[in-house]
Amino acid sequence: MLNLIVNRLGQSLLVMFGVSALIFFSLHITGDPAALMMPPGSSQQEIDRFRHSMGFDRPLLWQYGHYLSGILHGDFGESLRYSQPVLALIAERLPATALLAVSALAWSSVLGLLLGIVSALRPHGPLDLLCRLLAFSGQAIPVFWLGLLMILLFSLRLQWLPSGGYGTFAALIMPAISLGAFYMSAVARLARASLLEVLQTDYIRTARAKGLSAWRIVVRHGLRNALIPVITVQGMYFASLLGGALVTEIIFSWPGIGRLAIQAIQNRDFPLVQAIVLLAALVFVAINLIIDLLYLALNPRIRL
Amino acid sequence: MIEPRAALRRRPGRRIYGDALIGTLLLVVIIAAALLSPWLPLPDALTNNLQEVFLPPGSPGAQGTHWLGTDQLGRDLLSRILAGTRLSLMVVVLSALIGAAIGTALGTIAGYLGGWVDALLMRLIDIQLAIPFILLILLVIALMGASLTNIIVIMGCTSWAIYARVARAKTLEIRELEYIQAVRAMGFSLPRVLFRHILPNLFTPLVVLLTLDVPRLIVLEASVGFLGMGIQPPTPTLGNLIGEGRSYMLLSQWLVLYPGLVIAALVVGCNLLGDALLRRTHTRLE
Repeated sequence: MLNLIVNRLGQSLLVMFGVSALIFFSLHITGDPAALMMPPGSSQQEIDRFRHSMGFDRPLLWQYGHYLSGILHGDFGESLRYSQPVLALIAERLPATALLAVSALAWSSVLGLLLGIVSALRPHGPLDLLCRLLAFSGQAIPVFWLGLLMILLFSLRLQWLPSGGYGTFAALIMPAISLGAFYMSAVARLARASLLEVLQTDYIRTARAKGLSAWRIVVRHGLRNALIPVITVQGMYFASLLGGALVTEIIFSWPGIGRLAIQAIQNRDFPLVQAIVLLAALVFVAINLIIDLLYLALNPRIRL
Repeated sequence: MIEPRAALRRRPGRRIYGDALIGTLLLVVIIAAALLSPWLPLPDALTNNLQEVFLPPGSPGAQGTHWLGTDQLGRDLLSRILAGTRLSLMVVVLSALIGAAIGTALGTIAGYLGGWVDALLMRLIDIQLAIPFILLILLVIALMGASLTNIIVIMGCTSWAIYARVARAKTLEIRELEYIQAVRAMGFSLPRVLFRHILPNLFTPLVVLLTLDVPRLIVLEASVGFLGMGIQPPTPTLGNLIGEGRSYMLLSQWLVLYPGLVIAALVVGCNLLGDALLRRTHTRLE
């Protein structure tokens, strides 16, 4: 058990090491990062001075070592555009993205599970068909299109909700819906499939024979076991949630990390981009680690 | 006793074929229209006509009827959507094939050899999946420039991980089968065992996986285009059509509505077909 945890921790560290290397060396694939970061039209002299000040004229491995030791000391570099530590810039935008992601996760998991349960209670019935249709359309509609259609309908035509902004509950509704839609359908489909599988097992038949109500069987006996695969896959979907946040924040001018990332890419502010990618990967790895450990705790069968 | 069982078996079967039929029909209609669009009697996709800006769908124009209306420069939306679909699908299909080729090669070799090669591949997959695809793609596009070739190569090179995972898992199963042990005992070379005896068995799961991964790539390509970081206007793609139309949404919602509808139809078509293939071939993809 302890071995397994240590092993898993080591893997996560290795992955983060790899991600940092990938991000660091990606800047060097075009050959000259200094020319890349300087505004177009800079003189050769300016580029040379910048190259020296950034340390790009040193050996590549030395640079990577320097970069890594900086990260381990909490120094992710300085933004080229804002001349501020990138970590401060990111910390400033973090609450907005966290709020958006958590609200999207919350409504989509609850509704997704509910749809999955309703579907699995009467498979192939009319309600199941409706739930699956809802789940299916959530998967088919791109985040940005859903966002634009909602703005078109609820902001421009009906004028019920603001098309952007941050700080009020009304401004949170549409971003959270468009970000969570894909996730909701994924949870619904998974929950349905995994519940249907569990409901065919012997212990469910026993529960039925005991005369328990259908709802009680599904929620108390079925759902507990059906949830395991649903939770396992959540970690994988988290990366797509982060990607979706990028687009959602652009559409609804939400002042989060996604918009910061896009602006940084457009401004060629590569230290900022590097830090955002690294942090996104860190969050992803941490969440998957937690899920794996949870999985160990939840499922005694693999605790060998 | 026979009747209920027959009924049980028939119902899901019919549903699978129904899904596959709808999915295939959707895809065939859209792809055929996109491929045939240069020969269809439609106004040109790139010609401006400032006397016909923002015409609603169905309006008559100098070059013919604008079935889906016109945009801010008076260009015909239907022919722009069809041209955009052609380009977007080309990007998606080519990058999916690149991803599948890389992933299959890596997964098969790692699964067959095992040991440290396998451990290395598994960590590489973890690294690849830890970075949000769209962020990685935008970063590389910013570094390399947004040319058509670059976008295809970048999307392909970031899509190999799931193919590698499936190819590896299947190879691990196949490796233990007796006929593989037989050909190994006969002293066949490594490439021969991999290409002639293992790869053909991976074909079905990989095709199913490809069908299910294409929707993700369609949305990804459209998102990059929507953000204005993909192939640049005036060349239309499904994503940049919506990105451009967004500015004129209040005046002419068809500019946003119809390109998105095509994306959704393509995604639904692929998903229906992929799910049907998955169930029909009894493939497990873990």
